[in-house]
Amino acid sequence: MSLLEVNNVTKTFGSLVAVRNVSLAVEPGELRAVIGPNGAGKTTFFNLISGLFAPTEGSISFAGQDITDLVPHRRVALGMARTFQITEIFPELSIAENVRIGVEVASGYRLRAWLRRAEDKAIRDRVEEILSLTNLTGKADRIVGELSHGDQRAAEISMALTLKPRILLLDEPTAGMGDQETYEVTSLIRRLHRDQGYTIVLIEHDMRVVFNLADLIMVLDQGTVLAQGTPREIGANEAVQAAYLGKAA
Amino acid sequence: MTQLILYNTFNGLIIGAFYVLMALGLSLILNLSGVINFAHGGFLAVGGYLAYTLAPYIGFWGALVVGPALTACLGIAIERGLIRRLYGRDPLYSLLLTFGLAFIFEDMTRAIWGAQGLPFTPPSFLTQPISLDFFFVTYYRLFMMAVVGIVVLGLFLFLRYTRLGVRIRAGTLDLETVSALGVNVRALRTMNFAVGIFLAGLAGVLAGGNLSLEPTMGANVLMPSFVAIIVGGVGSLPGTMFGGLLIGVASGLTTVWFPSASEAVIYVIMAIVLLVRPRGLMGEEGIMS
Amino acid sequence: MKLRLDIAAIWLVLLTAPFWLPLVHGYEALGTRVLVLGLAAMSLNFLLGFTGVLSFGHAAYFGLGAYGAGLALKLLAPSTPLAIVLGMLLGIVAGAALGALIVRRRGVYFAMCTIAFGQVFYFVAFRWNALTGGDDGLRGFTRQPIDLGIASIDILNNLTAFYYFVLFCFAIAVGIMAFLLRSPFGRTLLAIRENERRARFLGIPVEQHIWISFVISCAFMSMAGTLYALLNNFADPKGLHYTQSGDFVIMAVLGGMRSFWGPLLGAAVFVVLQDYLSSVTTNWQSLIGLMFVVVVLFFPRGLLGFLQRKSQA
Repeated sequence: MSLLEVNNVTKTFGSLVAVRNVSLAVEPGELRAVIGPNGAGKTTFFNLISGLFAPTEGSISFAGQDITDLVPHRRVALGMARTFQITEIFPELSIAENVRIGVEVASGYRLRAWLRRAEDKAIRDRVEEILSLTNLTGKADRIVGELSHGDQRAAEISMALTLKPRILLLDEPTAGMGDQETYEVTSLIRRLHRDQGYTIVLIEHDMRVVFNLADLIMVLDQGTVLAQGTPREIGANEAVQAAYLGKAA
Repeated sequence: MTQLILYNTFNGLIIGAFYVLMALGLSLILNLSGVINFAHGGFLAVGGYLAYTLAPYIGFWGALVVGPALTACLGIAIERGLIRRLYGRDPLYSLLLTFGLAFIFEDMTRAIWGAQGLPFTPPSFLTQPISLDFFFVTYYRLFMMAVVGIVVLGLFLFLRYTRLGVRIRAGTLDLETVSALGVNVRALRTMNFAVGIFLAGLAGVLAGGNLSLEPTMGANVLMPSFVAIIVGGVGSLPGTMFGGLLIGVASGLTTVWFPSASEAVIYVIMAIVLLVRPRGLMGEEGIMS
Repeated sequence: MKLRLDIAAIWLVLLTAPFWLPLVHGYEALGTRVLVLGLAAMSLNFLLGFTGVLSFGHAAYFGLGAYGAGLALKLLAPSTPLAIVLGMLLGIVAGAALGALIVRRRGVYFAMCTIAFGQVFYFVAFRWNALTGGDDGLRGFTRQPIDLGIASIDILNNLTAFYYFVLFCFAIAVGIMAFLLRSPFGRTLLAIRENERRARFLGIPVEQHIWISFVISCAFMSMAGTLYALLNNFADPKGLHYTQSGDFVIMAVLGGMRSFWGPLLGAAVFVVLQDYLSSVTTNWQSLIGLMFVVVVLFFPRGLLGFLQRKSQA
């Protein structure tokens, strides 16, 4: 059985069909990419998986449990973490505080009024561990809102990692970035996947990013699955090329 | 007993009609601009007093139109000078600003026209009761209901069939898209604000003829108007209208059996509505959260 | 270390107030009033500034505390501590119930629900003559000396003693709030203020946390209310009215709602200004209204925020 199974989901907004009859199965340890031109329904699809809204039809299961109608924070508790196209962080707090809040919640301390010395120490260690993994140790005390786009993204990914997620959903992690920043974020994702063994599903707009990273690619167009396969297969697929070039032209 | 019930139901309808006028204006402004206009009651009082001052020169009928129109002009000036600066900011600030304005309005009307209630007398043929059995049904009160009915109908036709009205409705749903289509959103919000204030001013004139003019007359109908909006469902104008009439009548009927609870009952209704149907009776899903 | 020095200075000023207040033509009751309203504004700000949730109906809980304390003294037992506890209990129960009804609403709609619900208690106090004294307010109770076993402190006649009693209660309340804000729970509130969506996707059940914050805020708000009733030996229905809620919000904003101590400063400025204006002009209400407008347009970050900017520039 797969870690994440999406079965024939459809989502309509009024008369608009954003996602039509899409299925997806992700195995543990896999890095799956979902690509498609603008307006293909990628983000809606992600929102269905992470619970921002429920599908009109179809079902979703995660780690063997039906999660179709579960609210987001319950999905988080099952081990599902996500980032957003527009970075969602706590802008007026430092990186260390951002990550610390995540670690405390993940440790089950969200309602605690105080911590024992040992608990506090464990939390500090975990924060440091995560920051060194995402190369942010040197910027731990900087206010997140004042950092570069790439660092903010790394901070957001760090917060997702605090949950020790069984699956990491990344919504266009390199959106709006220059080459250097794109490279940094891409190599961070590669490290998480290859060295740390994270299961990752990511949406991308930038084909170059995806072809270097993904094990398997799903292509969405106008809310439906256009193709699925390895990067090589997708690169050779004429329908995909037509969809992309058609949009570009 | 039957007559007592009829009497209070009718009173409730009259009061409900005022809530409707107030709440519709508040709703228009809230939906398009995200501003809770605490000064709305102040505008109502200003409308009434302006009509009172103008009536000796232009007569009741002239004052009925010119009073609210001048109030709307004042509204435009305040929207352009003050409220406009706060669009897009934390709603806390527009709340506080209009709250301060409400203080100023109340104090200024008191300074200009005095704290004592002033009579604003409609033409004498309107003040007769239609029959002795129904002494409470005066022609003026029927006239008021008719005016409110016509204005509300006019408002809905305006929103449905005129270009400005259609834009206001579209802006309520999706301001970004409307802006992208080349509509001047700033002007749209000003016009919308003016329409809302006109309704408040009109309510002030009508209320002045029904009871008398007092500086606090607007503040007293402000809270029930909030309740009307929440009960009817934020974002829905028909809901607001229905909510206003509902709490007016409920309040009137409560007077029959338990007069001291006549104000509190509307909040009980609001609590029940929020409990059973959190988005309000006619509210749309998602708009309130 | 600078921050600690600030806080030490604040406590020093508060502890010595009975000595220096007469020097600046102040009086003890004014100092006590600042402290009580400051506690109210700080309690509101626990929700407003540190959870990012706008309640415009907090006077209700202030008033419930006042009436609760007054009724306890009048009808139950002549004990000041009991009056405070019962007044707070009333505020907590009401806050918990209404909070649960509105906690899913957001932004302006949340504010609107809090305003409207706040008025229920106003009308109850206004209309239930037999119990509350209606429009005239609740009278016929006096604060009682504090019995410590070995000695009794006469807070009734000795106004300085009462000031220190209020300061003692203030310190407990403020201490608990400061402590909570530094805890893991307090950090989840900051998280909700900063970015509700991110908080949700970190696994925080946002509604539950807002509700708890709301109840804590109501608890200390009603505590301030009980102290206010003890100060005046009187509970006023106006203390429940939404205009009073607006005053609390402006105190918090005026002082600086992003700082813990800002609302106390705001309360001090507001109380002194109101006291002064109402003694020199009959149109003081307009001037207070004008102050709202000026604060919103020119000092949206409050006095402390403004001073911080100045010192950085």
